[in-house]
Amino acid sequence: MQAHYWQIDHQIKNITQAKGVVVLPSLKAWEKFSWARKWFSRKPKEGYFVWVRKQVNFPLATCVTIASPKIAQDLTNLLVIEAGLKVKANVVCHAARKNLYGSHKAQGKIVLKENASLEYNHLHQWGEKDFVGPNYEFILEKNSILLYTYKNLLPPENLELKTTVHNAKNASCNLSFVINGVESKIRVEDVVFLEGEKAKGIVRLRLVGKKNSQIEALSKITAGSPGKGHLDCQGLLVDKNSTISLKPELVCQNKDAQITHEASIGRISEEELNYLRMRGLAEKEAIDLIVGGFLGN
Amino acid sequence: MKLLEIKNLKVEANGEKILKGVNLKIAAGDIQALLGPNASGKSTLAYAILGHPGYKITEGKIFFQGKDISRLSPEKRVKLGITLTFQNPPAIKGVKLFSFLKKIAPQKIVNKKLGLAPSLLDREVNLDFSGGEKKISELLQVLLLSPKLVIFDEIDSGLDIKKTEKVAKIIKDELISKGVAVFIITHSGQILNFLKPNLTNVLVEGKIVCQGKDYRKVLETIKKYGYERCKKCSLSTGRRKRGSNASSLLAN
Repeated sequence: MQAHYWQIDHQIKNITQAKGVVVLPSLKAWEKFSWARKWFSRKPKEGYFVWVRKQVNFPLATCVTIASPKIAQDLTNLLVIEAGLKVKANVVCHAARKNLYGSHKAQGKIVLKENASLEYNHLHQWGEKDFVGPNYEFILEKNSILLYTYKNLLPPENLELKTTVHNAKNASCNLSFVINGVESKIRVEDVVFLEGEKAKGIVRLRLVGKKNSQIEALSKITAGSPGKGHLDCQGLLVDKNSTISLKPELVCQNKDAQITHEASIGRISEEELNYLRMRGLAEKEAIDLIVGGFLGN
Repeated sequence: MKLLEIKNLKVEANGEKILKGVNLKIAAGDIQALLGPNASGKSTLAYAILGHPGYKITEGKIFFQGKDISRLSPEKRVKLGITLTFQNPPAIKGVKLFSFLKKIAPQKIVNKKLGLAPSLLDREVNLDFSGGEKKISELLQVLLLSPKLVIFDEIDSGLDIKKTEKVAKIIKDELISKGVAVFIITHSGQILNFLKPNLTNVLVEGKIVCQGKDYRKVLETIKKYGYERCKKCSLSTGRRKRGSNASSLLAN
């Protein structure tokens, strides 16, 4: 039993429905469910709609593939999880080959109704010449919980990743961004709004800059209520021609809010590198192991 | 043919001359010790043998099984069978010890006889390891590398007598009994009582100034007179008399 959406280029390859879960092309959902229109940021051209109405005991799966040269995807996605449900989603977006010069843009909205819980694993794997621009917004209603992991170990040439989370009363989010920049221009922007009392937000950024990568990250928490938040931003520079710019930002609009941050950018430790080489690993193997450890692989 | 032969080795690190002409021979199956005061160059000698890029050989050569390895990368030296346990190994964050062992020795199986707590394998390499855990982890790593020579850099430092005995037993059972040569660098000399080296070297100010076959006499002399006595040894001044040796000198 599964609920699945798979799109290749602009064509839907497969949709699998399951009891308690509605999976549709987003344009069809726009036409069919008037209530859903308020969540779509625009009338969709392509993309998926997943509505979890009942508790399911399997993970949701979506896969969006670029398989042909010079494809420009422009997706509008919506995932809605009804109150009290506990859901896991594995979301994959990727290019089937390295040199397709594809463009993948996505406007996504994820809505967690009251007391809902979502573990969202977002995996990206791109070709060296792709442009990728996901813009996701999470709406966390009262008491809902979001565990979000974005992992991109095969980056595109250009990545613009924007993530916004709105936490209502007692809602909590734990976001983790793991990005390995290789000859890439990357801009990451994540903002968590602690809008309700006792809302919580933790953001963990792990960025690696390799082979002339230019990485810029803005990580921000805005506390408008007595919530708690923490930013943990770390960068690792692997070569001298890459740059990483990390900007943690805290905005506190409530005297009882508690928000903190830590940020650091380091390079590969010579001590660790030499230790691993004296365990028989070649220099490149040793660097890959240290980077893998840093990214939590 | 000697397993390891070092001829007139001079080494610099950070622009400082540390080893000032070291000569050393280790045969297969040898148990040799290296004693010396702090900052005498003991760890530098170990790093130089392993080819640590931070330690520059300015003169002299290192031969392993007759081959000049002075310019070989550390990883190639390890492949030849030269290994080192570190005194203070760095933590490798995010890398579990078990996957690290699989990486350095994919075909080998972790020897459970070493008394390694299984939970240690699931922890990040050297991160928050206790002194004893580090030593066992280091030992385990070199055992998996199928060594011909193992250099132990202060393997007994920070260990109580019981743990030192345990580590010594592993070295005896897993290495010495299998004909692997061991070179034990020690400041305290505590572990030598369990391993009983056949030759003990004393390194002072970048030179091996003394070699004795009876490690107890070397230790007793150092305990009684300090390393100052070693400096006056005829080997260190180049005024070595025919027929004299460190043991006889130390016995005086």
